[in-house]
Amino acid sequence: MLTRRTFIETTAIAGTAGDLLAQAGAPKRVAIICTIYKYLSHAQHMGDRFLVGYPFNGKWHKPNIKVVSLYVDQKPEGDLSAERAKEFGFQVFPTIAEALRVGGSKLAVDAVIVIGEHGDYPRNAKGQILYPRYEFFEQCAKVFEADGRSVPLYNDKHLSWSFEKAKKMVDTGHAMKFPMLAGSSLPVTWRLPDLELPMNCEIADALMVGCGGSDPMDYHAIEAMQCMLERRKGGETGVKSVQLIEGEDVWKAGDDGRWSKELLGAALSRSDSPMGNTVKDGRTQEMVLSGEARKITPHPAAYFIEYRDGLKATLLMLDGAVKDYMFAAKLRGAKGPVSTQFFLSPVPNVTYSACLVNKIEEMITTGIAPYPVERTLITCGILESCLTSKVEGHKRLETPHLDVRYHAPRTSQYCRT
Amino acid sequence: MAQPAFRPKLAGVCTVYRKHSHTQHIIDRFLEGYGWNGVHHKPAMDLVSLYVDQHPPEDLTPDRAARFPAMKVCNSIQDALTLGTGKLAVDGVVLVGEHGDYPKTEKGQVQYPRYQFFQQIVDVFKSSGKSVPVFNDKHLSWKWEWAKEMYDTSRAMRFPLMSGSSLAVTWRIPSVEMPSGVKIQEALCVCYGGVDSYDYHGLETLQCMVERRKGGESGVKWLQAYRGEQFWQAHRDGVWPKDLFEAALCRSHTLTPARPGFNDMFPSLDDMKRLVKNPVAYRYQHTDGLMCTMILMSGLVEDFNFAARIEGRSEPFSTQMYLPMPPGRTTLANFFSPLVNNFEQMYVTGKETYPAERGLLTTGLTAAGVDSLFAGGRKLDTPHLKIAYQAPKESTFWRS
Repeated sequence: MLTRRTFIETTAIAGTAGDLLAQAGAPKRVAIICTIYKYLSHAQHMGDRFLVGYPFNGKWHKPNIKVVSLYVDQKPEGDLSAERAKEFGFQVFPTIAEALRVGGSKLAVDAVIVIGEHGDYPRNAKGQILYPRYEFFEQCAKVFEADGRSVPLYNDKHLSWSFEKAKKMVDTGHAMKFPMLAGSSLPVTWRLPDLELPMNCEIADALMVGCGGSDPMDYHAIEAMQCMLERRKGGETGVKSVQLIEGEDVWKAGDDGRWSKELLGAALSRSDSPMGNTVKDGRTQEMVLSGEARKITPHPAAYFIEYRDGLKATLLMLDGAVKDYMFAAKLRGAKGPVSTQFFLSPVPNVTYSACLVNKIEEMITTGIAPYPVERTLITCGILESCLTSKVEGHKRLETPHLDVRYHAPRTSQYCRT
Repeated sequence: MAQPAFRPKLAGVCTVYRKHSHTQHIIDRFLEGYGWNGVHHKPAMDLVSLYVDQHPPEDLTPDRAARFPAMKVCNSIQDALTLGTGKLAVDGVVLVGEHGDYPKTEKGQVQYPRYQFFQQIVDVFKSSGKSVPVFNDKHLSWKWEWAKEMYDTSRAMRFPLMSGSSLAVTWRIPSVEMPSGVKIQEALCVCYGGVDSYDYHGLETLQCMVERRKGGESGVKWLQAYRGEQFWQAHRDGVWPKDLFEAALCRSHTLTPARPGFNDMFPSLDDMKRLVKNPVAYRYQHTDGLMCTMILMSGLVEDFNFAARIEGRSEPFSTQMYLPMPPGRTTLANFFSPLVNNFEQMYVTGKETYPAERGLLTTGLTAAGVDSLFAGGRKLDTPHLKIAYQAPKESTFWRS
């Protein structure tokens, strides 16, 4: 985990104290390494915020950051990279190394933003899109190593489709002592209501509801749940086993008490987009006891996660029943469940990505990652193992490799001002 | 929580019951329940009767009547309130006079028959010698004199009257409340929609915040409306504060991108002029000197954003009153949940959760805005809006 000491070590590599003072106030120079840069791709809606600013805290915030180079892996129709480079005065480089060295012979940026989301990449048998985030990262790390200097790196979404690769990325970051941040917007977006679990609470049961396809959307849902659960007593100590089941078995598991119908009711009570009868005639509806959720979800999936400290949590992917992301949990000693919706603000502004960009900016300007990259690492592992369970007959899988330990940041990190 | 011993019976008095009409949003929440505090909440009361004024082909009344046979559909307001007993037989009335096919005035106001419905309700109260709480959706009436009469009647006959918009009680992003007793120097709302419709919601957005200022509400002295080129001129001249305007825009989640290929960028004045075909502003001064501006910018935003300058603070205070709005963004108009929850409490306790005077003032401001626009943007004195009241101590917006 990044501490004050590793921060000092990292910045010490960057230069002397005198250099730092001389640079105070000068914009940080950043390279963006992405798969594609077209309208509403992650690279565009996040990258553009460094170019044109973004709404934050009631102001149009202009980061003190200068994008100096860009690498784009694919240039499909609608590619905006050349246009942006021309307008905002930076260069698009044909390789990652050149982008990081901004055409020179040494690393010439203060931070790297890797956005390996969207673009045309193959899927594996588990349905995971094989985005080349690991490969991008490796090339960045190679430049850091060769040039004897490392800088903060943000990796959009999960680190890799493979836990093994993701683990290597995190290990490299720690070994080379550069701050790393990764992950989804969901942990940092607004919550309706503004719910944070008390630090060191004891969680008796937890349930997350998500929608959309695998593997993009289940990833977001798992990480959203993880950012809540990591605040429990003892912190995160890893995952013991996972299992993914599908179809009618999901509801049978609910009938058998393997996941809590009370928590599903609490989560769904936070939804603004129940489908079925609500779409038909606008009505509000109770969807759990009535059996409506069961009726209108064509392909439900349950992701069971058993943590090493005994906590059991469930993600229900209920595509067809709702179109938003909700969390519910029962805390020991509390009367009823707590619940909230992770607010995904409308397209095209997708202001939730401004919440995330602000965290990236914080890391770039302070040299400290505002929350541990291990959150995303464990999320990668949970997702990959769940999808392995899915293709291996939905069997329960022991996950001794998910021995990922970390503590949540004391200060809440989501948008609330 | 223990069930209250008293389980009120309610009558619904509505204009039209179709998908996404206010009647559907409100009455459905009594019949079906709604998500509240993390459970599917069923109000501890029964909607026993319903009068619906218009029945277009997409009318949902028959469906709801069939699925909720305990609710009697009545042919008159009197029947809905008396249930065939000849006298008042309900403990509360839900009046939803929004949507439906009604004529417009020459000033463009839709003549929803809220006043006429209210009069018929009051007739039953009078003949029965008993009054019960009434909720009136949105502003009391398009016509100020009628609205004032409705309010005065409720005070004279001593029955609780709540009216209002969801904007005053919905989620805020961020979830902040105007501190009580502060000195507010200026307040502004940037929102969207039409005149005699969403202008009212913008005014409620402002009023639910500024009423908490030092000294409480004292009423409004004058109002001036701006539209089209007059609006742009006033904007350029700084008639309303640019810093608050920008702070409000920075709370929006629906800024129309000013340039193709960009998804979220701050618009220049030229961008705004290109995007907003018919901007409208109501600028008005409260009796204690506070200046407020309600701005409609359809084409630029599709949400309700508030900003104020508070004495002693260097930065504007700002938030968005968030409407999860179907069908584009959501399937449920869940901003009706906190509205229903507020007046639901009134039926049980007999107490308004926020003052009837807020709705009276915003009704008067809406009419004054329409009048000023109709008079070509003339500044109108509003001595009739010298309406004083104190904001409730407790916050009533959605945050749990």
